[in-house]
Amino acid sequence: MNKRSPALTLVQHGLLALMCVIAVFPLYWMLISAFKNESEIFTASMFPHKPVLTNFTYAFDEMPIFRMMLNSFSIAIMTGVFQMATSLLAAYALVRWRFRGQGLIFSILSLTWLIPYQAVMVPNYSLVNSMGLNENIMGIVLPYAVSTFAILSLYQSFQSFPRVLIEAASIDGLSDFGILVKLILPNIKSMVASLGIILFLNGWSEYLWPMLITKEMENAPIEIGLRLFVNSDTNMWGSLMAAATAACIPILLIYILLQRQIVDSFVRYGMK
Amino acid sequence: MSHMEPTAVIPPLAGTASATHASVSRRALLMRRLKPYLYLLPAIVLLIIWMYRPLLYTCYLAFQKWGMVPGTEPTFVGFDNFTRLFRTDSFVHSIGNTVFYTVGLLPFSIVIPLILAVVTDGMKGKSKNFYRAIFFIPMILAPVSVGAIWRWLFHPSNGLVNNLLLKLNVVDRPIAFFSDAQWAKWIILFITGWKMIGFAVLMFSSALTGINREYYEAASIDGAGKFRVFIRITAPLVSPMVLFMLTMSILFASQWTFAYIDMLTAGGPYGSSTNVYYEMYKNAFANMNVGFSSAAALVFFVVFGLIALGLNALSRKLSFYDN
Repeated sequence: MNKRSPALTLVQHGLLALMCVIAVFPLYWMLISAFKNESEIFTASMFPHKPVLTNFTYAFDEMPIFRMMLNSFSIAIMTGVFQMATSLLAAYALVRWRFRGQGLIFSILSLTWLIPYQAVMVPNYSLVNSMGLNENIMGIVLPYAVSTFAILSLYQSFQSFPRVLIEAASIDGLSDFGILVKLILPNIKSMVASLGIILFLNGWSEYLWPMLITKEMENAPIEIGLRLFVNSDTNMWGSLMAAATAACIPILLIYILLQRQIVDSFVRYGMK
Repeated sequence: MSHMEPTAVIPPLAGTASATHASVSRRALLMRRLKPYLYLLPAIVLLIIWMYRPLLYTCYLAFQKWGMVPGTEPTFVGFDNFTRLFRTDSFVHSIGNTVFYTVGLLPFSIVIPLILAVVTDGMKGKSKNFYRAIFFIPMILAPVSVGAIWRWLFHPSNGLVNNLLLKLNVVDRPIAFFSDAQWAKWIILFITGWKMIGFAVLMFSSALTGINREYYEAASIDGAGKFRVFIRITAPLVSPMVLFMLTMSILFASQWTFAYIDMLTAGGPYGSSTNVYYEMYKNAFANMNVGFSSAAALVFFVVFGLIALGLNALSRKLSFYDN
Protein backbone atom coordinates (compact mmCIF):
# COMPACT_ATOMS: atom_id res chain seq x y z
CA MET A 1 0.00 0.00 0.00
CA ASN A 2 2.16 2.83 -1.27
CA LYS A 3 -0.67 5.19 -2.04
CA ARG A 4 -0.57 6.67 1.44
CA SER A 5 -0.31 10.45 1.39
CA PRO A 6 2.60 11.94 3.35
CA ALA A 7 0.18 13.97 5.51
CA LEU A 8 -1.66 10.84 6.56
CA THR A 9 1.60 9.07 7.35
CA LEU A 10 2.62 12.03 9.48
CA VAL A 11 -0.67 11.95 11.40
CA GLN A 12 -0.27 8.23 11.93
CA HIS A 13 3.25 8.51 13.27
CA GLY A 14 2.12 11.40 15.46
CA LEU A 15 -0.64 9.28 16.95
CA LEU A 16 1.70 6.34 17.51
CA ALA A 17 4.39 8.56 19.03
CA LEU A 18 1.81 9.96 21.44
CA MET A 19 0.83 6.43 22.43
CA CYS A 20 4.48 5.57 22.99
CA VAL A 21 4.86 8.56 25.30
CA ILE A 22 1.78 7.50 27.25
CA ALA A 23 3.15 3.96 27.53
CA VAL A 24 6.67 4.88 28.63
CA PHE A 25 6.38 8.24 30.37
CA PRO A 26 5.33 6.82 33.78
CA LEU A 27 8.51 4.71 33.77
CA TYR A 28 10.61 7.74 32.87
CA TRP A 29 8.97 9.72 35.66
CA MET A 30 9.71 6.92 38.12
CA LEU A 31 13.35 6.91 37.07
CA ILE A 32 13.96 10.66 37.30
CA SER A 33 11.99 10.97 40.55
CA ALA A 34 14.33 8.40 42.03
CA PHE A 35 17.29 10.70 41.32
CA LYS A 36 15.73 14.03 42.35
CA ASN A 37 16.76 15.69 45.59
CA GLU A 38 14.33 16.80 48.29
CA SER A 39 13.82 20.30 46.96
CA GLU A 40 13.23 19.11 43.42
CA ILE A 41 11.07 16.06 43.99
CA PHE A 42 7.81 18.01 44.18
CA THR A 43 8.43 20.09 41.07
CA ALA A 44 7.45 19.26 37.52
CA SER A 45 11.01 19.39 36.19
CA MET A 46 11.58 16.79 33.50
CA PHE A 47 15.20 16.14 34.41
CA PRO A 48 16.95 15.99 37.80
CA HIS A 49 19.24 19.04 37.84
CA LYS A 50 21.38 17.79 40.69
CA PRO A 51 20.91 14.02 40.61
CA VAL A 52 21.41 12.36 44.00
CA LEU A 53 21.65 8.79 45.20
CA THR A 54 20.22 9.44 48.67
CA ASN A 55 16.82 8.06 47.66
CA PHE A 56 18.44 4.76 46.80
CA THR A 57 20.51 4.60 49.98
CA TYR A 58 17.41 5.34 52.06
CA ALA A 59 15.35 2.71 50.23
CA PHE A 60 18.10 0.10 50.57
CA ASP A 61 18.45 0.94 54.28
CA GLU A 62 14.73 0.68 54.93
CA MET A 63 14.05 -2.43 52.89
CA PRO A 64 15.98 -5.67 52.49
CA ILE A 65 15.83 -5.15 48.73
CA PHE A 66 18.43 -7.75 47.73
CA ARG A 67 16.82 -10.32 49.98
CA MET A 68 13.38 -9.61 48.50
CA MET A 69 14.80 -9.71 44.99
CA LEU A 70 16.23 -13.13 45.74
CA ASN A 71 12.82 -14.19 47.10
CA SER A 72 11.18 -13.00 43.90
CA PHE A 73 13.63 -14.89 41.71
CA SER A 74 13.26 -18.06 43.78
CA ILE A 75 9.47 -17.87 43.66
CA ALA A 76 9.29 -17.09 39.94
CA ILE A 77 11.84 -19.78 39.01
CA MET A 78 10.35 -22.45 41.27
CA THR A 79 6.76 -21.89 40.15
CA GLY A 80 7.97 -21.86 36.56
CA VAL A 81 9.90 -25.11 36.94
CA PHE A 82 7.15 -26.91 38.85
CA GLN A 83 4.47 -25.78 36.42
CA MET A 84 6.61 -26.76 33.47
CA ALA A 85 7.39 -30.21 34.87
CA THR A 86 3.80 -31.06 35.80
CA SER A 87 2.39 -29.75 32.55
CA LEU A 88 4.99 -31.43 30.33
CA LEU A 89 3.99 -34.79 31.77
CA ALA A 90 0.27 -34.05 31.67
CA ALA A 91 0.25 -32.58 28.16
CA TYR A 92 2.34 -35.50 26.88
CA ALA A 93 -0.13 -38.03 28.29
CA LEU A 94 -3.04 -36.17 26.71
CA VAL A 95 -1.43 -36.09 23.28
CA ARG A 96 0.20 -39.50 23.30
CA TRP A 97 -2.59 -41.81 24.41
CA ARG A 98 -6.34 -42.21 24.09
CA PHE A 99 -7.72 -43.40 27.41
CA ARG A 100 -10.81 -43.62 29.50
CA GLY A 101 -11.67 -40.37 31.29
CA GLN A 102 -9.78 -38.16 28.88
CA GLY A 103 -12.85 -36.05 28.21
CA LEU A 104 -13.39 -35.64 31.92
CA ILE A 105 -9.81 -34.51 32.39
CA PHE A 106 -10.18 -31.89 29.67
CA SER A 107 -13.34 -30.60 31.36
CA ILE A 108 -11.54 -30.41 34.71
CA LEU A 109 -8.68 -28.49 33.11
CA SER A 110 -10.93 -26.04 31.28
CA LEU A 111 -13.10 -25.46 34.34
CA THR A 112 -10.06 -24.56 36.44
CA TRP A 113 -9.54 -21.59 34.14
CA LEU A 114 -12.79 -20.10 35.45
CA ILE A 115 -12.17 -20.54 39.16
CA PRO A 116 -11.26 -17.12 40.53
CA TYR A 117 -8.55 -17.20 43.14
CA GLN A 118 -10.93 -15.51 45.56
CA ALA A 119 -13.04 -18.68 45.51
CA VAL A 120 -10.21 -20.83 46.87
CA MET A 121 -8.13 -18.37 48.88
CA VAL A 122 -9.61 -18.99 52.33
CA PRO A 123 -9.29 -22.80 52.32
CA ASN A 124 -5.81 -22.58 50.78
CA TYR A 125 -4.81 -20.01 53.35
CA SER A 126 -5.95 -22.28 56.18
CA LEU A 127 -4.14 -25.23 54.63
CA VAL A 128 -0.86 -23.36 54.18
CA ASN A 129 -1.19 -22.09 57.74
CA SER A 130 -1.73 -25.56 59.13
CA MET A 131 1.29 -26.80 57.17
CA GLY A 132 3.31 -24.11 58.93
CA LEU A 133 4.26 -22.52 55.61
CA ASN A 134 3.07 -19.03 56.44
CA GLU A 135 5.81 -16.45 55.80
CA ASN A 136 7.56 -19.11 53.74
CA ILE A 137 8.44 -19.12 50.05
CA MET A 138 7.17 -22.68 49.68
CA GLY A 139 3.80 -21.49 50.94
CA ILE A 140 3.69 -19.13 47.96
CA VAL A 141 5.01 -21.65 45.44
CA LEU A 142 3.11 -24.85 46.27
CA PRO A 143 -0.43 -23.74 45.35
CA TYR A 144 1.02 -22.58 42.04
CA ALA A 145 2.91 -25.79 41.27
CA VAL A 146 0.43 -26.63 38.55
CA SER A 147 -1.03 -24.40 35.86
CA THR A 148 -3.82 -25.46 33.54
CA PHE A 149 -2.84 -22.60 31.29
CA ALA A 150 0.56 -24.26 30.88
CA ILE A 151 -0.93 -27.72 30.34
CA LEU A 152 -3.33 -26.56 27.64
CA SER A 153 -0.64 -24.42 25.96
CA LEU A 154 1.79 -27.33 25.82
CA TYR A 155 -0.95 -29.66 24.64
CA GLN A 156 -1.45 -27.32 21.72
CA SER A 157 2.31 -27.27 20.97
CA PHE A 158 2.67 -31.05 21.26
CA GLN A 159 -0.10 -31.56 18.75
CA SER A 160 1.96 -29.86 16.09
CA PHE A 161 4.61 -32.56 16.50
CA PRO A 162 4.31 -35.24 13.78
CA ARG A 163 2.81 -38.44 15.21
CA VAL A 164 4.63 -40.60 12.71
CA LEU A 165 7.95 -39.73 14.35
CA ILE A 166 6.64 -40.71 17.77
CA GLU A 167 5.40 -44.02 16.45
CA ALA A 168 8.66 -44.70 14.66
CA ALA A 169 10.65 -43.98 17.83
CA SER A 170 8.36 -46.23 19.80
CA ILE A 171 8.94 -49.10 17.36
CA ASP A 172 12.68 -48.45 17.58
CA GLY A 173 12.39 -49.21 21.27
CA LEU A 174 12.62 -45.74 22.76
CA SER A 175 10.73 -45.69 26.06
CA ASP A 176 7.68 -43.46 26.48
CA PHE A 177 9.53 -41.11 28.76
CA GLY A 178 12.49 -41.18 26.38
CA ILE A 179 10.22 -40.07 23.54
CA LEU A 180 9.17 -37.04 25.56
CA VAL A 181 12.67 -36.08 26.69
CA LYS A 182 14.84 -37.10 23.75
CA LEU A 183 12.56 -36.72 20.79
CA ILE A 184 9.80 -34.19 21.41
CA LEU A 185 11.44 -31.71 23.77
CA PRO A 186 14.56 -30.97 21.68
CA ASN A 187 12.30 -30.26 18.72
CA ILE A 188 9.92 -27.87 20.39
CA LYS A 189 12.39 -26.22 22.73
CA SER A 190 11.68 -22.72 21.46
CA MET A 191 8.01 -23.16 22.32
CA VAL A 192 8.90 -24.50 25.75
CA ALA A 193 11.20 -21.53 26.29
CA SER A 194 8.40 -19.15 25.26
CA LEU A 195 6.06 -20.68 27.74
CA GLY A 196 8.78 -20.64 30.40
CA ILE A 197 9.15 -16.88 29.98
CA ILE A 198 5.43 -16.32 30.51
CA LEU A 199 5.35 -18.60 33.56
CA PHE A 200 8.33 -16.76 35.04
CA LEU A 201 6.72 -13.35 34.49
CA ASN A 202 3.43 -14.59 35.97
CA GLY A 203 5.22 -15.89 39.04
CA TRP A 204 7.05 -12.60 39.41
CA SER A 205 3.89 -10.48 39.17
CA GLU A 206 1.54 -12.55 41.32
CA TYR A 207 -0.28 -10.27 43.73
CA LEU A 208 -3.08 -11.60 45.92
CA TRP A 209 -1.59 -14.86 47.12
CA PRO A 210 1.94 -13.72 48.11
CA MET A 211 0.34 -10.74 49.82
CA LEU A 212 -1.76 -13.07 51.99
CA ILE A 213 1.15 -15.32 52.84
CA THR A 214 3.88 -12.79 53.63
CA LYS A 215 3.58 -9.86 55.99
CA GLU A 216 7.31 -9.42 56.74
CA MET A 217 9.58 -7.83 54.16
CA GLU A 218 12.30 -10.42 54.86
CA ASN A 219 10.07 -13.19 53.51
CA ALA A 220 8.25 -11.25 50.82
CA PRO A 221 8.91 -11.05 47.09
CA ILE A 222 10.03 -7.57 46.05
CA GLU A 223 6.62 -6.58 44.71
CA ILE A 224 4.90 -7.30 48.01
CA GLY A 225 7.71 -5.58 49.92
CA LEU A 226 7.18 -2.55 47.70
CA ARG A 227 3.48 -2.62 48.56
CA LEU A 228 4.32 -2.64 52.28
CA PHE A 229 6.65 0.31 51.70
CA VAL A 230 4.03 2.26 49.72
CA ASN A 231 1.50 1.78 52.47
CA SER A 232 3.84 2.81 55.27
CA ASP A 233 5.87 5.76 54.01
CA THR A 234 3.53 7.79 51.91
CA ASN A 235 5.62 10.91 51.68
CA MET A 236 9.06 9.57 50.83
CA TRP A 237 8.30 9.66 47.13
CA GLY A 238 11.90 9.82 46.01
CA SER A 239 12.84 6.69 47.93
CA LEU A 240 9.63 5.01 46.92
CA MET A 241 10.44 5.59 43.26
CA ALA A 242 13.99 4.38 43.91
CA ALA A 243 12.55 1.17 45.36
CA ALA A 244 10.12 0.85 42.46
CA THR A 245 13.02 1.33 40.04
CA ALA A 246 14.94 -1.45 41.75
CA ALA A 247 11.88 -3.70 41.53
CA CYS A 248 11.41 -2.99 37.81
CA ILE A 249 15.04 -3.34 36.76
CA PRO A 250 15.23 -7.15 36.59
CA ILE A 251 12.07 -7.37 34.49
CA LEU A 252 13.12 -4.51 32.22
CA LEU A 253 16.58 -6.03 31.72
CA ILE A 254 15.02 -9.33 30.80
CA TYR A 255 12.68 -7.54 28.42
CA ILE A 256 15.52 -5.65 26.74
CA LEU A 257 17.57 -8.83 26.33
CA LEU A 258 14.76 -11.13 25.25
CA GLN A 259 12.37 -8.62 23.73
CA ARG A 260 11.68 -10.63 20.57
CA GLN A 261 11.17 -13.89 22.41
CA ILE A 262 8.92 -12.31 25.03
CA VAL A 263 6.70 -10.68 22.44
CA ASP A 264 6.58 -13.95 20.49
CA SER A 265 5.69 -15.88 23.66
CA PHE A 266 2.69 -13.72 24.31
CA VAL A 267 1.59 -13.91 20.69
CA ARG A 268 1.86 -17.69 20.78
CA TYR A 269 0.23 -18.42 24.11
CA GLY A 270 -1.71 -15.31 25.10
CA MET A 271 -1.89 -14.89 28.80
CA LYS A 272 -3.33 -16.65 31.76
CA MET B 1 -6.93 -39.93 12.25
CA SER B 2 -3.70 -41.76 12.78
CA HIS B 3 -3.91 -42.07 16.55
CA MET B 4 -2.23 -45.17 17.84
CA GLU B 5 -4.18 -46.79 20.65
CA PRO B 6 -1.72 -48.75 22.74
CA THR B 7 -4.25 -49.21 25.49
CA ALA B 8 -6.67 -50.95 23.18
CA VAL B 9 -4.34 -53.08 21.04
CA ILE B 10 -1.22 -54.94 22.01
CA PRO B 11 1.67 -52.86 20.75
CA PRO B 12 4.27 -54.41 18.42
CA LEU B 13 6.94 -54.92 21.08
CA ALA B 14 4.66 -56.70 23.50
CA GLY B 15 3.69 -59.04 20.68
CA THR B 16 7.11 -60.74 20.88
CA ALA B 17 6.37 -62.10 24.34
CA SER B 18 5.41 -65.76 24.16
CA ALA B 19 2.55 -67.42 25.97
CA THR B 20 4.90 -68.67 28.73
CA HIS B 21 5.39 -65.09 29.78
CA ALA B 22 1.66 -64.48 30.01
CA SER B 23 1.75 -63.09 33.54
CA VAL B 24 4.62 -60.79 32.70
CA SER B 25 2.92 -59.41 29.64
CA ARG B 26 -0.32 -59.02 31.54
CA ARG B 27 1.57 -56.87 33.97
CA ALA B 28 3.13 -54.97 31.12
CA LEU B 29 -0.32 -54.49 29.65
CA LEU B 30 -1.62 -53.20 32.97
CA MET B 31 1.33 -50.82 33.15
CA ARG B 32 0.49 -49.56 29.69
CA ARG B 33 -3.10 -48.98 30.66
CA LEU B 34 -2.04 -47.10 33.77
CA LYS B 35 0.65 -45.08 32.11
CA PRO B 36 -1.42 -42.09 30.94
CA TYR B 37 -2.81 -41.72 34.43
CA LEU B 38 0.66 -41.86 35.95
CA TYR B 39 1.83 -39.03 33.74
CA LEU B 40 -1.24 -37.01 34.65
CA LEU B 41 -1.02 -37.81 38.34
CA PRO B 42 1.14 -34.90 39.60
CA ALA B 43 -0.95 -32.30 37.78
CA ILE B 44 -4.29 -33.78 38.79
CA VAL B 45 -3.30 -34.35 42.42
CA LEU B 46 -2.08 -30.75 42.72
CA LEU B 47 -5.23 -29.43 41.06
CA ILE B 48 -7.36 -31.40 43.48
CA ILE B 49 -5.40 -30.17 46.51
CA TRP B 50 -5.14 -26.52 45.50
CA MET B 51 -8.23 -25.93 43.35
CA TYR B 52 -11.04 -28.44 43.74
CA ARG B 53 -10.72 -29.32 47.44
CA PRO B 54 -10.75 -25.61 48.36
CA LEU B 55 -13.60 -24.93 45.93
CA LEU B 56 -15.72 -27.58 47.67
CA TYR B 57 -14.66 -26.24 51.04
CA THR B 58 -15.75 -22.77 49.94
CA CYS B 59 -19.15 -24.28 49.05
CA TYR B 60 -19.32 -25.60 52.59
CA LEU B 61 -18.18 -22.30 54.14
CA ALA B 62 -20.81 -20.39 52.18
CA PHE B 63 -23.43 -21.90 54.50
CA GLN B 64 -21.47 -21.21 57.68
CA LYS B 65 -20.59 -18.30 59.88
CA TRP B 66 -16.88 -18.24 60.63
CA GLY B 67 -14.23 -15.65 61.49
CA MET B 68 -11.19 -17.79 60.61
CA VAL B 69 -10.02 -17.49 64.21
CA PRO B 70 -7.91 -20.52 65.11
CA GLY B 71 -9.73 -22.81 67.51
CA THR B 72 -13.20 -21.65 66.51
CA GLU B 73 -15.56 -23.84 64.51
CA PRO B 74 -17.83 -22.64 61.69
CA THR B 75 -21.52 -22.65 62.62
CA PHE B 76 -24.25 -23.53 60.14
CA VAL B 77 -26.46 -20.63 59.09
CA GLY B 78 -28.25 -22.00 56.02
CA PHE B 79 -28.81 -19.55 53.17
CA ASP B 80 -28.25 -16.59 55.44
CA ASN B 81 -25.03 -15.50 53.72
CA PHE B 82 -26.65 -15.58 50.29
CA THR B 83 -29.67 -13.52 51.29
CA ARG B 84 -27.40 -11.07 53.08
CA LEU B 85 -25.32 -10.61 49.91
CA PHE B 86 -28.09 -8.79 48.10
CA ARG B 87 -29.26 -6.90 51.14
CA THR B 88 -25.80 -5.48 51.88
CA ASP B 89 -25.51 -2.08 50.25
CA SER B 90 -21.74 -2.12 49.89
CA PHE B 91 -21.90 -5.44 48.06
CA VAL B 92 -24.71 -4.44 45.73
CA HIS B 93 -22.72 -1.30 44.99
CA SER B 94 -19.64 -3.36 44.14
CA ILE B 95 -21.65 -5.28 41.53
CA GLY B 96 -22.40 -2.00 39.79
CA ASN B 97 -18.71 -1.11 39.84
CA THR B 98 -17.78 -4.53 38.47
CA VAL B 99 -20.03 -3.87 35.48
CA PHE B 100 -18.50 -0.40 35.16
CA TYR B 101 -14.96 -1.82 35.04
CA THR B 102 -15.91 -4.62 32.68
CA VAL B 103 -17.61 -2.35 30.16
CA GLY B 104 -15.12 0.46 30.67
CA LEU B 105 -12.18 -1.77 29.86
CA LEU B 106 -13.51 -2.71 26.40
CA PRO B 107 -12.19 0.43 24.68
CA PHE B 108 -8.74 -0.39 26.08
CA SER B 109 -8.82 -4.08 25.25
CA ILE B 110 -10.53 -3.87 21.86
CA VAL B 111 -11.24 -0.47 20.26
CA ILE B 112 -7.96 1.42 20.78
CA PRO B 113 -5.72 -1.65 20.23
CA LEU B 114 -7.56 -2.57 17.05
CA ILE B 115 -6.99 0.93 15.67
CA LEU B 116 -3.33 0.87 16.66
CA ALA B 117 -2.85 -2.59 15.20
CA VAL B 118 -4.43 -1.59 11.88
CA VAL B 119 -2.34 1.59 11.71
CA THR B 120 0.94 -0.18 12.46
CA ASP B 121 0.09 -3.11 10.20
CA GLY B 122 0.63 -1.08 7.03
CA MET B 123 4.10 0.02 8.15
CA LYS B 124 7.51 -1.37 7.38
CA GLY B 125 8.90 -4.12 9.58
CA LYS B 126 11.26 -1.98 11.60
CA SER B 127 8.97 0.81 12.73
CA LYS B 128 6.15 -1.69 13.19
CA ASN B 129 8.20 -3.77 15.60
CA PHE B 130 9.52 -0.71 17.37
CA TYR B 131 6.06 0.64 18.14
CA ARG B 132 4.76 -2.71 19.24
CA ALA B 133 7.73 -3.31 21.54
CA ILE B 134 7.17 0.07 23.20
CA PHE B 135 3.41 -0.42 23.59
CA PHE B 136 4.10 -3.74 25.26
CA ILE B 137 6.27 -2.40 28.10
CA PRO B 138 3.43 -1.63 30.56
CA MET B 139 2.23 -5.20 30.16
CA ILE B 140 5.36 -6.85 31.54
CA LEU B 141 5.62 -4.61 34.61
CA ALA B 142 4.27 -6.05 37.83
CA PRO B 143 1.06 -4.51 39.21
CA VAL B 144 2.63 -3.16 42.41
CA SER B 145 5.30 -1.19 40.55
CA VAL B 146 2.65 0.14 38.21
CA GLY B 147 0.40 1.06 41.13
CA ALA B 148 3.24 2.83 42.93
CA ILE B 149 4.19 4.90 39.89
CA TRP B 150 0.64 6.00 39.15
CA ARG B 151 0.01 6.75 42.79
CA TRP B 152 2.89 9.19 42.59
CA LEU B 153 1.78 10.70 39.27
CA PHE B 154 -1.78 11.26 40.57
CA HIS B 155 -0.67 12.31 44.06
CA PRO B 156 -3.36 14.65 45.47
CA SER B 157 -1.06 17.51 46.46
CA ASN B 158 2.32 17.02 44.79
CA GLY B 159 1.71 14.73 41.86
CA LEU B 160 2.78 15.70 38.37
CA VAL B 161 -0.76 15.52 36.98
CA ASN B 162 -2.10 18.00 39.52
CA ASN B 163 0.98 20.18 39.07
CA LEU B 164 0.38 20.45 35.35
CA LEU B 165 -3.37 20.94 35.68
CA LEU B 166 -2.75 23.82 38.10
CA LYS B 167 -0.10 25.37 35.88
CA LEU B 168 -2.35 25.21 32.83
CA ASN B 169 -5.19 26.70 34.88
CA VAL B 170 -7.46 23.76 34.14
CA VAL B 171 -8.30 23.52 37.82
CA ASP B 172 -7.81 25.96 40.66
CA ARG B 173 -7.50 23.35 43.40
CA PRO B 174 -5.63 20.04 43.15
CA ILE B 175 -7.87 17.04 42.55
CA ALA B 176 -7.87 14.31 45.21
CA PHE B 177 -7.95 11.57 42.59
CA PHE B 178 -8.02 8.64 44.99
CA SER B 179 -10.31 10.01 47.67
CA ASP B 180 -12.83 11.71 45.43
CA ALA B 181 -15.67 9.31 44.66
CA GLN B 182 -16.09 10.86 41.21
CA TRP B 183 -12.51 10.16 40.22
CA ALA B 184 -11.35 7.02 42.03
CA LYS B 185 -12.87 4.39 39.79
CA TRP B 186 -12.00 6.25 36.59
CA ILE B 187 -8.36 6.35 37.62
CA ILE B 188 -8.34 2.64 38.41
CA LEU B 189 -10.01 1.90 35.10
CA PHE B 190 -7.49 4.06 33.25
CA ILE B 191 -4.47 2.35 34.86
CA THR B 192 -5.84 -1.13 34.18
CA GLY B 193 -6.53 -0.11 30.59
CA TRP B 194 -3.10 1.49 30.17
CA LYS B 195 -1.52 -1.82 31.13
CA MET B 196 -3.75 -3.84 28.78
CA ILE B 197 -3.37 -1.92 25.53
CA GLY B 198 0.03 -3.30 24.54
CA PHE B 199 -1.00 -6.90 24.92
CA ALA B 200 -4.18 -6.36 22.92
CA VAL B 201 -2.29 -4.52 20.15
CA LEU B 202 0.01 -7.50 19.91
CA MET B 203 -2.83 -10.00 19.67
CA PHE B 204 -4.65 -8.00 16.99
CA SER B 205 -1.41 -7.43 15.09
CA SER B 206 -0.74 -11.13 14.95
CA ALA B 207 -4.29 -11.71 13.73
CA LEU B 208 -3.78 -9.09 11.02
CA THR B 209 -0.44 -10.56 9.96
CA GLY B 210 -2.24 -13.86 9.50
CA ILE B 211 -4.54 -12.44 6.83
CA ASN B 212 -3.62 -13.50 3.37
CA ARG B 213 -2.25 -10.49 1.40
CA GLU B 214 -3.87 -11.69 -1.80
CA TYR B 215 -7.30 -10.62 -0.52
CA TYR B 216 -6.09 -7.05 -0.29
CA GLU B 217 -4.50 -7.18 -3.74
CA ALA B 218 -7.68 -8.58 -5.23
CA ALA B 219 -9.72 -5.88 -3.50
CA SER B 220 -7.48 -3.09 -4.74
CA ILE B 221 -7.66 -4.45 -8.31
CA ASP B 222 -11.44 -4.40 -7.96
CA GLY B 223 -11.13 -0.77 -6.88
CA ALA B 224 -12.44 -1.17 -3.34
CA GLY B 225 -11.87 1.81 -1.02
CA LYS B 226 -9.94 1.58 2.23
CA PHE B 227 -13.01 1.68 4.42
CA ARG B 228 -14.73 -0.97 2.34
CA VAL B 229 -11.67 -3.20 2.53
CA PHE B 230 -11.66 -2.87 6.30
CA ILE B 231 -15.36 -3.71 6.65
CA ARG B 232 -15.41 -6.52 4.09
CA ILE B 233 -12.03 -8.18 4.59
CA THR B 234 -10.18 -7.09 7.70
CA ALA B 235 -13.10 -6.99 10.13
CA PRO B 236 -14.50 -10.47 9.41
CA LEU B 237 -11.04 -12.04 9.45
CA VAL B 238 -10.00 -10.55 12.79
CA SER B 239 -13.39 -11.27 14.34
CA PRO B 240 -12.22 -14.50 16.04
CA MET B 241 -9.51 -12.49 17.79
CA VAL B 242 -11.98 -9.77 18.71
CA LEU B 243 -14.21 -12.38 20.33
CA PHE B 244 -11.24 -13.93 22.10
CA MET B 245 -10.19 -10.56 23.51
CA LEU B 246 -13.80 -9.80 24.41
CA THR B 247 -14.00 -13.03 26.38
CA MET B 248 -10.70 -12.43 28.16
CA SER B 249 -11.62 -8.86 28.92
CA ILE B 250 -15.06 -9.62 30.31
CA LEU B 251 -13.94 -12.61 32.36
CA PHE B 252 -10.79 -11.08 33.81
CA ALA B 253 -11.43 -7.32 33.98
CA SER B 254 -12.43 -7.57 37.62
CA GLN B 255 -9.32 -9.58 38.43
CA TRP B 256 -7.01 -7.13 36.69
CA THR B 257 -8.43 -4.15 38.59
CA PHE B 258 -7.98 -5.94 41.93
CA ALA B 259 -4.36 -4.94 42.55
CA TYR B 260 -4.95 -1.27 41.75
CA ILE B 261 -8.05 -1.10 43.91
CA ASP B 262 -6.07 -2.57 46.77
CA MET B 263 -3.05 -0.32 46.29
CA LEU B 264 -4.66 2.98 45.40
CA THR B 265 -8.03 3.29 47.10
CA ALA B 266 -8.66 0.12 49.12
CA GLY B 267 -12.09 0.20 47.52
CA GLY B 268 -12.97 3.67 48.79
CA PRO B 269 -14.04 6.32 49.19
CA TYR B 270 -17.29 4.89 50.57
CA GLY B 271 -16.96 1.80 48.41
CA SER B 272 -17.07 3.86 45.22
CA SER B 273 -14.17 2.04 43.54
CA THR B 274 -14.48 -1.48 44.91
CA ASN B 275 -15.49 -4.53 42.87
CA VAL B 276 -16.90 -7.94 43.79
CA TYR B 277 -13.50 -9.66 44.04
CA TYR B 278 -12.16 -6.97 46.29
CA GLU B 279 -15.25 -7.26 48.51
CA MET B 280 -14.64 -11.02 48.79
CA TYR B 281 -11.07 -10.38 49.87
CA LYS B 282 -12.06 -7.64 52.33
CA ASN B 283 -14.82 -9.70 53.89
CA ALA B 284 -12.62 -12.73 54.37
CA PHE B 285 -9.38 -11.12 55.57
CA ALA B 286 -10.36 -7.73 57.01
CA ASN B 287 -13.93 -8.18 58.26
CA MET B 288 -13.34 -11.81 59.24
CA ASN B 289 -16.61 -12.73 57.62
CA VAL B 290 -15.63 -15.86 55.72
CA GLY B 291 -19.15 -17.18 55.11
CA PHE B 292 -20.20 -14.00 53.35
CA SER B 293 -17.05 -13.96 51.23
CA SER B 294 -17.50 -17.61 50.26
CA ALA B 295 -21.12 -17.10 49.29
CA ALA B 296 -20.10 -14.17 47.09
CA ALA B 297 -17.29 -16.20 45.54
CA LEU B 298 -19.67 -19.03 44.65
CA VAL B 299 -22.32 -16.76 43.17
CA PHE B 300 -19.78 -15.03 40.95
CA PHE B 301 -18.05 -18.24 39.98
CA VAL B 302 -21.40 -19.34 38.58
CA VAL B 303 -22.18 -15.95 37.01
CA PHE B 304 -18.82 -15.73 35.23
CA GLY B 305 -19.08 -19.40 34.26
CA LEU B 306 -22.41 -18.73 32.53
CA ILE B 307 -20.97 -15.67 30.80
CA ALA B 308 -18.04 -17.77 29.58
CA LEU B 309 -20.38 -20.44 28.21
CA GLY B 310 -22.43 -17.77 26.47
CA LEU B 311 -19.40 -16.15 24.89
CA ASN B 312 -18.06 -19.51 23.84
CA ALA B 313 -21.33 -20.33 22.09
CA LEU B 314 -21.34 -16.89 20.51
CA SER B 315 -17.81 -17.26 19.16
CA ARG B 316 -18.72 -20.60 17.60
CA LYS B 317 -21.75 -19.09 15.94
CA LEU B 318 -20.45 -15.75 14.74
CA SER B 319 -16.82 -16.18 13.85
CA PHE B 320 -15.74 -16.27 10.25
CA TYR B 321 -12.69 -18.30 9.56
CA ASP B 322 -10.37 -18.03 6.65
CA ASN B 323 -10.62 -21.48 5.15
